[in-house]
Amino acid sequence: MTTFLRRNALVPLAAVILVLAAACGSSGSGKPAATGPGGSTSAKLPATTLKGSGSSFQDPFDEEVFRDFTTDAQPNVTVNYNPAGSGQGQTDLEGQLVDFAGSDSLVVPGDVTKFKGGAFLYIPIVSAPITISYNLSGVTKLTLSAATIAKIFSTKITKWDASEIAADNPGVTLPSTSITVVHRSDGSGTTNNFTTYLTQAAASDWTLGSGKTVNWASSTIGAAKNAGVAGKIKSTDGAIGYVDFADATLAQLSVASVKNSAGTAVPPTLAGATAAMAAATVTADVTVSPMNASGPDAYPITSPTYIIVYAKQTSHAQGTALKALLEYVLDAGQSKAEALNFAALPPALLAKAKAQVDKIVVP
Amino acid sequence: MVAESPSQDSAPVAHLTDGHRPPGRVVDVGFRLLAMLAGFSVLIILGLIAFSTTHTAWPAFSKEGIHFFTSTTWDVPKQRFGALAFIGGTLLVSAIALVFAVPVSIGLALFITEIAPGKLRRWIVTVVDLLAAVPSVVYGLWGLLVVAPKIIGFYKDLASDFAHVPILNTLLSGRPLSGVSFMTAGLVVGLMITPIITSITREVFVTVPTAQKEAAVALGATRWEMIRGAVFPHSRGGIVGAVLIGLGRAMGETIAVVLLIGSSTELTGRLFSPGETMASVIVNQFGEAQDLYRAALVGLGVALFAITIIIGVIARGLVARVEARAGGA
Amino acid sequence: MTAITAGVPVTRLGPAAKHRSRAIRNGFATACIVLSFIIVLVPLALLVGYVVARGHQLFSYAFLTKDIPTQITPGPGMGPAVFGTLLITGAATAMAVPLGVLGGVYLSEYGRRSVIARVLRFFAEIMTGVPSIVMGLFIYTAVVLKTKNLNAFAGALALACLMLPIVIRTTDEMLRLVPAELREGSTALGSRQARTIMRIVLPAAAPGIVSGALLAVARAAGETAPLIFVLSPVYRTNRSLFHGGNTALSVQIFQNASSPYAASQQRAWAAALTLIGIVFVFTVLARIFTAIYSRRSTAS
Repeated sequence: MTTFLRRNALVPLAAVILVLAAACGSSGSGKPAATGPGGSTSAKLPATTLKGSGSSFQDPFDEEVFRDFTTDAQPNVTVNYNPAGSGQGQTDLEGQLVDFAGSDSLVVPGDVTKFKGGAFLYIPIVSAPITISYNLSGVTKLTLSAATIAKIFSTKITKWDASEIAADNPGVTLPSTSITVVHRSDGSGTTNNFTTYLTQAAASDWTLGSGKTVNWASSTIGAAKNAGVAGKIKSTDGAIGYVDFADATLAQLSVASVKNSAGTAVPPTLAGATAAMAAATVTADVTVSPMNASGPDAYPITSPTYIIVYAKQTSHAQGTALKALLEYVLDAGQSKAEALNFAALPPALLAKAKAQVDKIVVP
Repeated sequence: MVAESPSQDSAPVAHLTDGHRPPGRVVDVGFRLLAMLAGFSVLIILGLIAFSTTHTAWPAFSKEGIHFFTSTTWDVPKQRFGALAFIGGTLLVSAIALVFAVPVSIGLALFITEIAPGKLRRWIVTVVDLLAAVPSVVYGLWGLLVVAPKIIGFYKDLASDFAHVPILNTLLSGRPLSGVSFMTAGLVVGLMITPIITSITREVFVTVPTAQKEAAVALGATRWEMIRGAVFPHSRGGIVGAVLIGLGRAMGETIAVVLLIGSSTELTGRLFSPGETMASVIVNQFGEAQDLYRAALVGLGVALFAITIIIGVIARGLVARVEARAGGA
Repeated sequence: MTAITAGVPVTRLGPAAKHRSRAIRNGFATACIVLSFIIVLVPLALLVGYVVARGHQLFSYAFLTKDIPTQITPGPGMGPAVFGTLLITGAATAMAVPLGVLGGVYLSEYGRRSVIARVLRFFAEIMTGVPSIVMGLFIYTAVVLKTKNLNAFAGALALACLMLPIVIRTTDEMLRLVPAELREGSTALGSRQARTIMRIVLPAAAPGIVSGALLAVARAAGETAPLIFVLSPVYRTNRSLFHGGNTALSVQIFQNASSPYAASQQRAWAAALTLIGIVFVFTVLARIFTAIYSRRSTAS
């Protein structure tokens, strides 16, 4: 028996035991679950699971706030959010595969009839700047105008010491490194908003149109999700790309100030985003377009983000849980926004958003 | 089949001593049918795969026609889907993988069959089996977080060393130069396909008639000359078969490639550039895709399926021929 | 003159081999061949080494059972993924192994000389080479699009398709090793073929068949590509096979590997350690069973 074991099992078994022993030797330190401020006083709902999918732009906010909702307000409700992209979220909601969709862009009119559950509501939840993040050794401060951004991202400018960039940055020494443009390889609401801004603010220089995917030049590189783009920029000298504020901050990327329509160079901050949101007009279905907003402090590439739900819910349990979730997001969630690198809604818009939630009909 | 004893008429008699009634004809036929169905399940499933995926991909195929395979224009807003860049990327990664895996695998197979003494042989086979058991995603994780950051320095050195050598300066370059690139993906995939090529090559080497090897040595050949003279000529077809099987695996490898190839839709020969293969682009773009876009991605899957079937048929045929020939030697 | 026995590496070199240039070439070739072993050994050692080094700190009971924290929160927690891997792989095994064993039985016992069996055997071998992403796409188009449901069962179906040809082939090979005398003896005593197979042949080949099944399970547990199309992520353990999304260790490793947050990457390493542990254990068990089987068949 021992010979048998020795010949056939000893070597691989030893390998396995070594691996597992090394692993089990040290016990991991368990981090206690994050406890938020005092729990909600509303009645506890029975066990339910809410499913959502969509925008990865709002994912850093969603991930934390939804967990806090479960920990603080409704311990029996589990919320699963799949940050597969705004388009996927809309498709899932169309087919009623999810309870809510996260989206940075509005549903195009042609798709409205695809929503099998009938009429839907937009509920804005937070906003954030879309940063122009870059990685250029030796350059810590950068300003760009809309026209220059358009030219960089359509690869009309290929080197960092180009005259247009130098004109935007008097006094800054720019190296002659090649520019590597990083964009989203997956379809994205962030791409949609960024390209919409370029179409509005730099129409003469931006020729690639707007949409969740555009036809980037083949010399650019793509990465999946905001986090992927951030990672790519961080690891490539000379890279530039568009990344949401949360991911850019967490990856500690350098960000450029952008000249808004008033001519002021505004850095991508939450204050700049709030200023843009406050200056923008709110439509009848509670959507805003703060792109290229006027106002001296407004950061011109600000993206609102929405949760889309059906006005008429089909299940009492899911519907009640959903309303509780949305109320939490628009209450306690707003005070958490800044810590998560998102701008809370300005008061007027917040009131209108809450009114939207009240419109949801639960059987 | 069973020879009926004369005493058996309509009632099955228990000949075996365990006291149970033996299963009658019904059970026997039933079992046989069940087994036959199970055997055919392979063909049924293969057929279903072909049908279901082609059906979903049909809108893309019918819209693009042959341009699906010959055009590099993968333009989502304009809804044009030409997959040539990804086909090229798949071939490039597979080529790199084979360049590294084939010599190493053949050498390893020779080491196991010709040089290693019994005890060492068992160790080596263990190592190769463990290499084969590691999941693709773990190769990808290690490659992405350990290999890619470290190897970029190596790429930069190579790129500057060969900057003035024609042809090589395009090959050994990147636009942009990146740790996640065709080369990194190719190297790791090469590591992953080594076990399968080694094991099939080993099977083939074992079929070499000992008489021929003995004859070579008796005539005074060195070990290497014996290998060249007796082992290789006999195994040529089998080695080609093994290499083809490795190629099939390399082309189908998905997860490690997704993590290691960066992401770029450019068709390029620059090995240190990021790129995409058919498999990686399916994973990268599937989540967002709808309708025609999704059909196009499934179409890539259909192409991958067809290619691996064809390569598999040729490869297994070659290996079978060598083994059949050995049987008659 | 030494006798040269079959199967033993031929090592004797004749006196003519001492000629200088041939000896050099021989030495060089031998060195290259030995080098190829080292080339294979070093990356494997590095890979396992890194996985252990980077994964062991977080690996603990808590890691295997707690919910998955958010991306930016450090700390252990892969409980849902561990459960998901076991659930999905278990369901796949329950579907693929019985079908595969029966299929192998057909090829070995009923189809020994028929053309159909040769064709089926050929295609079973081809099917082992079909990329796993194609299996994932197949289940997506054939099942998910029709049922509009992303659940663990869809994942199990995809893995079962992957496991089936492996189990069929190994069962076929193991059954063929059962000596004909056993079958003939049973037939001579009057049992029909089904009974011979069920009572005599299968039990005789059992260790070998189990070994093949274990290898298939090891392969399936590590697969990622088939699952990413058919699962939707969860952070709390979902015990249902048919309702709601699920996750698996392989999928979590894949997602966390490309995450920029150190906390997620840490969990990826620990999950990789867990997955390698599971896969290695099954591989070792398979080898033990193979050894039992070859011992048994040579002893008879």
